[in-house]
Amino acid sequence: MLVLSRQRDETIMIGDAVEITIVDIRGDKVRLGINAPAQVAVHRKEVYEAIKAENRRAAEANGSEFGALSSAIRPGRRAGLSPAGRIGQNNGSTGSNGANHANEAPKPARPASAKNDTRRQAST
Amino acid sequence: MQVKTTRFGVVDIADDKVITFPQGLLGFPDHRQYCLLEPGEDACFFWLQSVDEPALAFVLTDPALFFKEYEVPIRPEQAEALSIEKMDDAQVFVIVNKVGELLTANLQGPLLVNTLNLTGQQLVLADKRWSTRHTIMQVGSEQTTAATA
Repeated sequence: MLVLSRQRDETIMIGDAVEITIVDIRGDKVRLGINAPAQVAVHRKEVYEAIKAENRRAAEANGSEFGALSSAIRPGRRAGLSPAGRIGQNNGSTGSNGANHANEAPKPARPASAKNDTRRQAST
Repeated sequence: MQVKTTRFGVVDIADDKVITFPQGLLGFPDHRQYCLLEPGEDACFFWLQSVDEPALAFVLTDPALFFKEYEVPIRPEQAEALSIEKMDDAQVFVIVNKVGELLTANLQGPLLVNTLNLTGQQLVLADKRWSTRHTIMQVGSEQTTAATA
């Protein structure tokens, strides 16, 4: 790892486009200002790692805990993206080809929870 | 195409239903192609099954079903990366986990999918309101007790 010493208001460059400035130093806390192109994702590492860990854990689900639930609750709305296939009791017989909705036409999507955000996320 | 899965056996899906996550999901960068499977009619949970790794699958839900105030801010460059031209073409899913007797949703790392070209990305939200574990409901350890409104 490259280690550099910097004082307040000094900056380092990473490549041509990423600037990291020491904004403030107080005790054991350093505030960084980051200038980066919008395409470059900037995250606190612990957030990134938390999502990674949660993904890994979620991938271990075997499904028995969800199978019953999916039929038990019916809020009346469903995701707009049409599933690629259906899985169910008749799934074991995989002889015929059309059994899993292979020919189902795509349905129009629902906007769901996405919204436009014109702001660059503020660095904190 | 036939997708081999450890949970559901062999599932037949149309080739044009494959959802591509060019960067994979966080922690799974090598698996980029998935398909969405539905457990039954009107299901609110789905499986996102890896096309190339039979054992890799995630339970997803539509966050709008459970979290009315939840919104995913999408920056122009993020929309551009997935070729999303209008928000109507975007769909948000969240990954569901079982923690003890709770079903939880990861609202901090939602999946954004362009439903037209079936390209997706897992986002990382900076908003401190959202964490990796928001309770969806309690599930009994012995029998299912789905909480209904």
